[in-house]
Amino acid sequence: MKTLAIARFCWALFRTNLRSVTALRGSFLLSMTFMALNNTTFFVFWWLLFGRIGSLRGWHVQDVELLFGISAAGFGLMQATLGGAMHLARFVDDGSLEPMMVQPKPTLLYALGCRSQASGFGDMASGFVFMILSGYVSWSDAPRALLCVLVSCVAFTAVCVALGSLAFWIKKSETLSRQLLDIVITFSLYPEPLFDGGLKLLLFTLVPAGFVSYLPAEVVRGAGPVALCLMLGGCALLCAASLRVFRAGLRRYAGGSRFGVFG
Amino acid sequence: MKPFRKYWAFARVACGEARSHRGELYARGLFFALILAVFAALWRAVGEAGLPLAARPERLVWYLAVTEWVLLSAPLRHLEIQEDVRRGDVACQLCRPVAYPRALLAQCLGMLVVRASFLGVVAFSAAALYTRELPAWSALVLVVPFGLLAALVLAELYLILGLVAFWLRDATPLYWVCGKLTFILGGLMLPLELYPRWLQVLAACTPFPSLLAGPAGFLLHGATHVGALALHLVFWALALFGILEFVFWRATRVLQLSGG
Repeated sequence: MKTLAIARFCWALFRTNLRSVTALRGSFLLSMTFMALNNTTFFVFWWLLFGRIGSLRGWHVQDVELLFGISAAGFGLMQATLGGAMHLARFVDDGSLEPMMVQPKPTLLYALGCRSQASGFGDMASGFVFMILSGYVSWSDAPRALLCVLVSCVAFTAVCVALGSLAFWIKKSETLSRQLLDIVITFSLYPEPLFDGGLKLLLFTLVPAGFVSYLPAEVVRGAGPVALCLMLGGCALLCAASLRVFRAGLRRYAGGSRFGVFG
Repeated sequence: MKPFRKYWAFARVACGEARSHRGELYARGLFFALILAVFAALWRAVGEAGLPLAARPERLVWYLAVTEWVLLSAPLRHLEIQEDVRRGDVACQLCRPVAYPRALLAQCLGMLVVRASFLGVVAFSAAALYTRELPAWSALVLVVPFGLLAALVLAELYLILGLVAFWLRDATPLYWVCGKLTFILGGLMLPLELYPRWLQVLAACTPFPSLLAGPAGFLLHGATHVGALALHLVFWALALFGILEFVFWRATRVLQLSGG
């Protein structure tokens, strides 16, 4: 019953956010279009490079399109549905978290679901286009591809929660956590075979780009059940770890200094 | 010299502020070092695949170190201007006995000094560590002043974007477009020689190649274009300063028309 109530609450949060973000239709469409353009422009680099060299340690431009597509769609889905994750550090810093703490549902749920970013829809749209362009996603593979995007979204959210929770210990850490998130995003956009040794270990631990894009891309490309289990298990571990960090931070939270109303 | 004293004070305060935000500075440095690690790996792999350019992968890592150094050193003041406009705080700034855009530029200069020094050390140490070689000292000596001037011109561009918030309220989409134009037309990751001919011609009509590929090009081609680059940078610095003043003048008109 409790799970059902929370699911219903999440749906209501999403609908409210969607209405709010699309209220200024022009601004919404502009942000969405520019973000999609932004992603396409970024990819010009890969088109130019692969146009010259053909393949890179066994990866072709289609593989990078798939990797980029999953990252963009997963990140976009997070921004569209759980956009508060990107602002968690600021909520902690300026005391916006306090009104959320006295609400009946879990605090983290409120913090994550209280925002929706218009640019996320652009990310998502361009991500799906790149996935289709890669040629790896057909109608029959669509459910698997959607699952991978969902896992990427959850992994991105977990990373954002862990990094945003740094604000419980470090003051004014919003820029710091944003830049650390940028590192994860950056690594998630480059082909995995480029990295070896210590760097590869880093990509599945401290900078979990492996769970955000590499493993989901492997699964979409048709990797076996082992890769699927690794992806799901890794994502679950990541969520558990970030939840633990958030709870530990919340226990020591002494509050900000902001007066405001919530609801 | 007296009129410059107040702007000097703005620059000094911004310098102190940038120094006090150590977390941000260190995170930026870490980000920079990791980006270079990614690209050192990428260029190694591209080298194995047969690099289609008359430059070694190590040189390309140094090239990227310089382009990223310029890009990351330029302060992103447009975000603060945008917030000032949105909250209405800009009204307090406008009634001060200083020219708002010049004060902003002085602040950028102050922040730039701190960031460029720290990131310069990170860039050059990381590039030296990943490539295990140093470029010619004569090239490095040219890269530093030209890179600093390029970062200042880039900061001017961001200030103009920030002032556009007087009309748009949110200039972030414009910043994205500008960022990607810098990325592509500036030759952030790939030297412009690798681009198709039409894209090279298009890039040459914009300020972006002088900002990134220009200073970094010293490491690939030596001091072959010093005079031309200096002219380009000075031209764009002056042109963008003029545009900045003009946009601010128009922006204050809009503010008065809408009642302040």
